[in-house]
Amino acid sequence: MMRKCHLNTCPVGVATQDPALRKKFSGKPEHVVNYFFFIAEEVRQIMAQLGIKKFDDMIGRADLLDMRQGIEHWKASGLDFSRLLAVPQVADDVPRFHVDVQDHGLEKALDQKLIEKSKPAIERGEKVQFMEVARNVNRSVGAMLSGAVTKVHPQGLPDDTIRIQLEGTGGQSFGAFLCNGITLYLIGDANDYTGKGLSGGRIVVRPSIDFRGDAINNIIVGNTAMYGATLGEAFFAGVAGERFAVRLSGASAVIEGTGDHGCEYMTGGTVAVLGKTGRNFAAGMSGGIAYVYDEDGQFATRCNTAMVSLEKVLTAAEQETAVPKPVWHRDQSDEAQLKKLLEDHHRWTGSKRARDLLDNWSTARAKFVKVFPNEYKRALGEIHAAKTAKTAAPAKAKKAVAAAK
Amino acid sequence: MGKITGFMEFERIKEGYKPVTERLKNYKEFVIGLDDKQAKDQSARCMDCGTPFCNSGCPVNNIIPDFNDLVYQGDWKTAIDVLHSTNNFPEFTGRICPAPCEAACTLNYNDDAVGIKSIEHAIIDRAWSEGWVTPQLPKHKTGKKVAVVGSGPAGMAAAQQLARVGHDVTLFEKNDRIGGLLRYGIPDFKMEKSHIDRRAEQLQAEGVTIRTGVLVGEMPKGTKVTNWAKESITPEQLKKEFDAVLLTGGSEQSRDLPAPGRDLAGIHFAMEFLPQQNKVNAGDKLKDQLRADGKHVVVIGGGDTGSDCVGTSTRHGAAHVTQFEVMPMPPEHENKSLVWPYWPLKLRTSSSHDESAEKGLLQREFAISTKEFVGEKGQVAGVKTVRVEWKDGKMVEVAGSEEVIKADLVLLAMGFVNPVATLLDGFAVDKDARGNAKASTEAAGGYATNVPKVFAAGDVRRGQSLVVWAIREGRQAARAVDEFLMGVSDLPR
Repeated sequence: MMRKCHLNTCPVGVATQDPALRKKFSGKPEHVVNYFFFIAEEVRQIMAQLGIKKFDDMIGRADLLDMRQGIEHWKASGLDFSRLLAVPQVADDVPRFHVDVQDHGLEKALDQKLIEKSKPAIERGEKVQFMEVARNVNRSVGAMLSGAVTKVHPQGLPDDTIRIQLEGTGGQSFGAFLCNGITLYLIGDANDYTGKGLSGGRIVVRPSIDFRGDAINNIIVGNTAMYGATLGEAFFAGVAGERFAVRLSGASAVIEGTGDHGCEYMTGGTVAVLGKTGRNFAAGMSGGIAYVYDEDGQFATRCNTAMVSLEKVLTAAEQETAVPKPVWHRDQSDEAQLKKLLEDHHRWTGSKRARDLLDNWSTARAKFVKVFPNEYKRALGEIHAAKTAKTAAPAKAKKAVAAAK
Repeated sequence: MGKITGFMEFERIKEGYKPVTERLKNYKEFVIGLDDKQAKDQSARCMDCGTPFCNSGCPVNNIIPDFNDLVYQGDWKTAIDVLHSTNNFPEFTGRICPAPCEAACTLNYNDDAVGIKSIEHAIIDRAWSEGWVTPQLPKHKTGKKVAVVGSGPAGMAAAQQLARVGHDVTLFEKNDRIGGLLRYGIPDFKMEKSHIDRRAEQLQAEGVTIRTGVLVGEMPKGTKVTNWAKESITPEQLKKEFDAVLLTGGSEQSRDLPAPGRDLAGIHFAMEFLPQQNKVNAGDKLKDQLRADGKHVVVIGGGDTGSDCVGTSTRHGAAHVTQFEVMPMPPEHENKSLVWPYWPLKLRTSSSHDESAEKGLLQREFAISTKEFVGEKGQVAGVKTVRVEWKDGKMVEVAGSEEVIKADLVLLAMGFVNPVATLLDGFAVDKDARGNAKASTEAAGGYATNVPKVFAAGDVRRGQSLVVWAIREGRQAARAVDEFLMGVSDLPR
């Protein structure tokens, strides 16, 4: 009735974070329980009136629905629900409700093969390496494998214990939830949600050997790649679709260009974009760092700066003198981190763009823009202050003890 | 919405009152309206709810969130346009409406309601002083003649609406000035009558013919209903002369208390007492005015009319005033989660109660019933009462609780039962079970009685109610009449 849920001013304290207003909330879980009892009771009454014994018998009975007459309102006049309430002409034996179990074909999933071939690694921790063909009908490749690994090794396996080289097109959610110790090395391209929820594994996608184009101008993964990825790394030798690294929460990713809304709602992790981004980059971004290679100097116009600041990527030496240590991302210099990402990217994908940038590093570095969320900067400072307060207190106590002696 | 966080920042403030000693000296209004800053802050408290309950809680469906916002923005001119679009006479309702909108206000659920009435009051007072209230002349005349019988708020609203779409309207009033209960029921200290006079001028400028002192039909013999008519006109004449007749005569028959001793002198209906004072205030000479000076007054009835009797008696200089209410004393604060957004039952203490109590004159009695009027030499001297209890909706007397309360003047303010029957009978209009004119409020054929071209609206149709309901019915009935005359109507419903 208020419809002010978006203003933080909910007067009964439901849709608000304001402590003063939240005090006004007087609801209890029991009220909800009560409410549902009433609904159930009323449903029973209506069913009894209709002469229906079981809930299942009501499903699909659009013939029992009718428009209430006599509602005198200009919005109601002229409404005709007859088509909405029409009952399809089908034989009586056609079921009206859920009577079948869906077959997801999991036993035929590519992951069954991957698990089988990874057995030595899962069972004995041995290194395994093998090749497979990737097809776009194979969804969530690596997710079941990650499950099988995690069952035996809750923390995952040592880096690169299982390396799987695939060729072709990765289907939806390629490498989803991939855990520690697995590397998916895909030669070809991949669909939407590649690396979704990446949880410690590594995903590499590089173009097919037959590809003759320019990686920085061609799409290699679909939309929303790296959605909410918490750990691990990914290297994509090409351009991503929209919403690259949306909600990224700790993983690292290198990409050679993005569509619109890159790094949207990102809360943690590191992203390096080696080419052009789409518009509205970093909208709602509150954590982590994005390094964007701003070749045409126009990145600022494509970035949503409501929550982020754009800074220069300094040399390690410059950063040492100019930037206080507490606000360093991962306690390392930007130059060192970015360079490492580029080197890894080149090593894994053979990216020509990464090579060029590294070869002309001083010019290239100067063209990188560091996207630094304001909230992240504040939090880094506060975390540091809290840490020093903690370590300082015992040190002082020790000193006091020493003095007493 | 003016200010998103306004309701968290500003407290509701009540309109100011002049001091009791000062206001008791005369019959003038004593409410001090909001100043500009106050109005801005008060309107900022409006939350502009997605579903504004105030809007449906208001009988005329005032577009409250909109005018609140306009006041906050300082756009008073548009604010009065918005207010006038649903309410012909905001200066009446801004003064004497009990404000069901505020009961329905979402903020009232767990806080104090937005001061909607005080804002309405500020808007219309500003509009009058700026000269923004002007006659709205019809673009063309229809040549149709409409008689509106009864000039209370329903009749005035209907007459105005009908005149504005070009009908020739004649507004009939049996008393000497228009306004009905507004004029002769509500004391001047609640609403000064210049407000009605100004509207009368506006109505006449818009083409309404006002005929006062003309009784339509006849009054029953010995009636106590105030009737200062000098001439009369028969229903037949009216039907012959006019293309449509709208009855807006109100529900004038006061509820009587036929207890033993009712015939004693000094027992009167509130509606004999209050009109006389208003007439005197207007400058008329009245011999043998019913007055309460130095008297022990008993007011029977705990509603608004009773409260008006208390206020008027106090101003007369009564020795003591006792007010009876047959129902038990309601709680001071209602159970909001039970009644919101509806009108709550709670103890209501009016300004009349406050001022009389401050002077040490007032005694309010609840759960009390009258057994008998006792008197000496034909003059009332006391009221024999008994305490009552309510069990399963039935009134039970408390044994041994009889008591005689001293009374030189008894005023009966127990509401109105129905319209004066002779008015409806004169037109042969069917009555409902309560004796009101029988007519529906449907979109099609609403407000029409069983008699062709005779319509009814306001208290005469719905029974005793609020001024704001009368305005609503007058407006809606005007549309019904317009539709009847023209086939279609652009008037709002």
